Amino acid sequence: MANTACFIIVSRNDIPIYEAEVGSAPKKEEAAHQHQFILHAALDIVQDLAWTTSAMFLKAVDRFNDLVVSVYVTAGHSRLMLLHDSRNEDGIKSFFQEVHELYVKILLNPLYLPGSRITSSHFDTKVRALARKYL
Amino acid sequence: MEPDVSMETGSMIRIAVLPVGGAIPHHQLREYAAMLGRHTRIDLSSISSFYKEHQKSPFAHQPWETGCLRFKYMLGGAPPSPWEDFQSCRKILAVVGLCHCPSSPDLDLVDDQFAAACKGYSSALAKRCFAFFPTDSQHNLVKKPVQYDVDHNLYCVVILRSNSWANIRSVPPKDSVCNIMLFIYGFIIQGQHWDHSYLSQEHLVNGCIERDLLKEFKVIKAKKRRLGRAQKTIGDYCLLAGSPLDANAHYSTAIELARLTGDVFWHAGALEGSVCALLADSTVPKLFDDIGKEKSSNYMLMKIDFLCLQLDCMDQKDPVLEEEVKYRYYTVIQLYRRSYLQDNAQRYCWSRKLSVFPVYTVLISVSSWCELAKEVVELLMGAADGAKSLIDASDRLILYVEIARLFGTLGYQRKAAFFSRQVAQLYLQQDNACAAISAMQVLTMTSNAYHVQSRRASSKLQTSHHVVESIYLSVHSGNFDAFPLSVSLPPNTAKVILLSGIPTKVGPVSIPGCIVHCFGVITEHLFKDVDNLLLGAAQGLVLSDPFRCCGSGKLKNVSIPNISVVPALPLLVSHVVGGDGATVLYEGEIRDIWISLTNAGTVPVEQAHIALSGKNQDSVISIAHDTLMSALPLKPGGEVTLPVTLKAWQLSMVDSEIDSSKSSGSTRRISKEGSSPLLVIHYAGSWTHSDQSNNTENSVPPGRRLVVPLNVCVLQGLRFVKARLLSMEIPARISEVLPKPLYVDKNPTEVVSRDDSMVKIDPYRGSWELRLLELELSNPTDVVFEVNVSVQLDNHKNEHGMPILNHENADLGYPKTRIDRDYSARVLIPLEHFKLPILDGSFFAKDSQTSDAFCSKVSNMPERSAKAELNASINNLISKIKVRWHSGRNSSGELNIKDATQPALQASVMDILLPDPLTFGFRLAKNGAQINGFPEESIISDDPPSQCVNGNVIKCKGSISAHEMTHMEVLVRNNTREMIQMSLSVTCRDVAGENCMEGNNATVLWAGYQAIGTVSRFVFSSIGVLNDIPVEVPALEEVKHAFSLYFLVPGEYTLLAASVINDATDVLRARARTDSPDEPIFCRGSPFHVYVVGTA
Repeated sequence: MANTACFIIVSRNDIPIYEAEVGSAPKKEEAAHQHQFILHAALDIVQDLAWTTSAMFLKAVDRFNDLVVSVYVTAGHSRLMLLHDSRNEDGIKSFFQEVHELYVKILLNPLYLPGSRITSSHFDTKVRALARKYL
Repeated sequence: MEPDVSMETGSMIRIAVLPVGGAIPHHQLREYAAMLGRHTRIDLSSISSFYKEHQKSPFAHQPWETGCLRFKYMLGGAPPSPWEDFQSCRKILAVVGLCHCPSSPDLDLVDDQFAAACKGYSSALAKRCFAFFPTDSQHNLVKKPVQYDVDHNLYCVVILRSNSWANIRSVPPKDSVCNIMLFIYGFIIQGQHWDHSYLSQEHLVNGCIERDLLKEFKVIKAKKRRLGRAQKTIGDYCLLAGSPLDANAHYSTAIELARLTGDVFWHAGALEGSVCALLADSTVPKLFDDIGKEKSSNYMLMKIDFLCLQLDCMDQKDPVLEEEVKYRYYTVIQLYRRSYLQDNAQRYCWSRKLSVFPVYTVLISVSSWCELAKEVVELLMGAADGAKSLIDASDRLILYVEIARLFGTLGYQRKAAFFSRQVAQLYLQQDNACAAISAMQVLTMTSNAYHVQSRRASSKLQTSHHVVESIYLSVHSGNFDAFPLSVSLPPNTAKVILLSGIPTKVGPVSIPGCIVHCFGVITEHLFKDVDNLLLGAAQGLVLSDPFRCCGSGKLKNVSIPNISVVPALPLLVSHVVGGDGATVLYEGEIRDIWISLTNAGTVPVEQAHIALSGKNQDSVISIAHDTLMSALPLKPGGEVTLPVTLKAWQLSMVDSEIDSSKSSGSTRRISKEGSSPLLVIHYAGSWTHSDQSNNTENSVPPGRRLVVPLNVCVLQGLRFVKARLLSMEIPARISEVLPKPLYVDKNPTEVVSRDDSMVKIDPYRGSWELRLLELELSNPTDVVFEVNVSVQLDNHKNEHGMPILNHENADLGYPKTRIDRDYSARVLIPLEHFKLPILDGSFFAKDSQTSDAFCSKVSNMPERSAKAELNASINNLISKIKVRWHSGRNSSGELNIKDATQPALQASVMDILLPDPLTFGFRLAKNGAQINGFPEESIISDDPPSQCVNGNVIKCKGSISAHEMTHMEVLVRNNTREMIQMSLSVTCRDVAGENCMEGNNATVLWAGYQAIGTVSRFVFSSIGVLNDIPVEVPALEEVKHAFSLYFLVPGEYTLLAASVINDATDVLRARARTDSPDEPIFCRGSPFHVYVVGTA
């Protein structure tokens, strides 16, 4: 499992709707903010890059120091972003694909308002399980 | 590294600009600097006249007609760069001093200062100091308009009459420019003979560590290297001298030589210079023959303009030139990287220093191209990675500043914001003013992404080590001395400060804002701008979460108060004599407290008014207003002492309920905080004083208010348990005289004098109904109380202590009841004194002294007002009863019995206050004939004289013998003002309560006269004698009816009189509490006892 891994889903309106620290490293308050800032800054690059390819998985789009940002853009332009320090690209891709499935299931829930925060604890549990599996 | 670089920086001559002499006002300094800033470019044509023909120009291609010199003004100077030998453009070639004459009176001193400052710039070729705004004396005193210093560097103080260059347009800079030119010329001419030591040892050493075997070759190589480096330096100077073609030629040589000798670092430097020369060349298209392209000079001018503007006008760029520049720059970057890596293997420290260059060149290149966002992003991210290899924190900071700036210009706002945040973080780790300024610039440019208002962002940065030297209120009206404060604000904190001052003159004060001295800058902040600031704050200031726009949405408008200064006022200071602590009182306790007022002001108190406010104002019984008024005017220092009489209020019922639920007596109730009344004293100085100062007639003269809290702590005192009305009927003993009815006589003094006001039950005198109000009191406190009841009668001003009818001590002469702690006692108050003599409807209706007590009897009154009247009458009654208590030596007070007694009296107030319409009395008739025409003889004849005497004796004692005719009279008194017709009945009952005058077993025989009209007949039927006797009683009079009884059996008998009133009036009906007009009104008299003695 990766030491540092911060997973975040950003809605098409650039609002984070799901956040999870899934790394094995102990959490630090300022580090959590740092992760958010790095992910936020990477949105600029994703914005340009998303329209240059038809692939959903954009691989590593940005980096800061040792941390790499990998991004998966869904058809609805929701962005699954992972800040990580590991280089396991295949695992990350699988992780994104399975999380995407979960996210679609959330979207299919008639009680879920697209673009609103995902509060399902089931989703959270599954995402963390996937992170343990692939990252 | 330095911020804000571009490719053309290499062609700029750096000039340090230093303020000298006294402090220059900031706006002036800015203005002077701006004037210099207009001269960043001087055409060669304008200085060609200074060029002397005899001086041989080393430049073959100097473009005298179209070329120009470029200047970069380093305001405040710059420290010497470690790279100035490598890149000559980094040298400071001139120093300009700025002097503001009004703040620098001594120009000689300025001279010395400037000379000293110039010593720091050893490479400076020209030094000029400009003095602005000379005074007349200064203007005349100028002794040395032009001076040459030892090094033959031009050095002078130029006096300018105004603050404009206009009259001497470009002369002062130009001759120094010429001086620079001269130097460069000389430098280049001598270039071939330069000493090796001129070049940095570092670079030479690099090349001299090879093995002996290759020594010969190495010497040659070293020579070639030196030559190449010299060519590069000459190229740098050519570029500075405005001859890019010459520069390019030298660079080409240098590049060749560097390539041959493997001098990677200088190779990169020369190549970088050549790019600069390529861009700077605006005139000779021939240059581009090398790359095979024709260029119009017009186009090249545009190109330079474009580069000046950095990043605009992308569409008009020549793609081929663009490609060439890009290609060369990539090579430069690679070479720098290589040199860095190469040296890294050899000498770590040095290579760390070299690490600046790859990163730096990336920045320079990126600043020139921006259409290739993807490549630029790659380069910038690479540069960001390079940050780790930078040893100098300020280099890293500048790197982040530049990255943020470039991302910002690319439109990558979030990236820019991220790096500017990094800048801010780095800035927090170091103390560098230059870096702070750059950081602020970056933040202001790029901080939109974090929803930070730029102004706030920069000020937030500024406050990191913020000490506000002085902040004070700005007063425009001139009659207020503001006190300055010094405030230090640690990072990310806010402070609320209180600004104050002292008024100096009478009149309105206008305070539009405050003045802040900070960073040597004085600014005025207006309060009305605060609204905008708050608005900004509401839009979000929180940097911690970039995704959200935080901040409180609540805005508070600041209203600026209207202040005016009034003339001096007196100042009263109060203290409570005997200590300012709370006065501890029991409920109902009355005590005087003394309040001392002292005038601590400088003017006398001329007017004063005392009022009460706060809670429980009723508890203040009296205030000695007169004492205060008589003390006026109270001179400064004067003192007056006011007595205030307090009566402790009752604690609230809620508390008492709580208390009763708790264990008895042990807990004490104490009045709540803040329930004490306040004494409010408004006072002022003299009228005339204020009138003189401002002539507004309508305005209230200014005064002050003093609030004296009367701190009273009320403890629970005696407590009522219960109040109830006791009704006793004590039968009278029949005798020859009637018991004296109370209040029959209207003369109240007689009532008072009667029996020294003590109710003593005389068994022979008898009484009607006796009503007593019983108050049950308990003492939950831990002190002993003594209770004393007095009744205040209507017609009397003096009070009469009434006895205490305690069960135990009814006979005691002492009227006080002692109630020990944790005990309760009952206090009886007789209520007969309140009975009125006459029952009179018209009397009730009239508004007389006590009429309000009876209004309820008037039947046409509405029900509600009747009830109110009833309550009023009860209150009236209760108010006459005073229950006073004493405890200890000096605690005394009065119990408030109103609440307790009201329910007890409610039902029977009428019975207490109003007499019955008829009163009945029995007495033994001494001489019945005298009264009713009954023959006297008939009685006397029946009684033997001795018996009569004896009987008289007995009768005197009120006893009656059996077997003896006893003559009696029943007296009926009409207490109303109208005649009453009735049928009277008299009954006699034995001890068993049975009627003993009728029936088979009658033990009492009777005889009497039937009064029909005026004729009396002796009859044997009880009708008309003892029963249903028709009687008419005139108003306020009494009527006798005589009869005789003959008791067969000795014993105790009870005589009762009663009557049914015919045609009762409204008053009577109201008194009998009946509404039905047909119901008979029945009146019953008090019982009379008859003791019959004798033998059966």
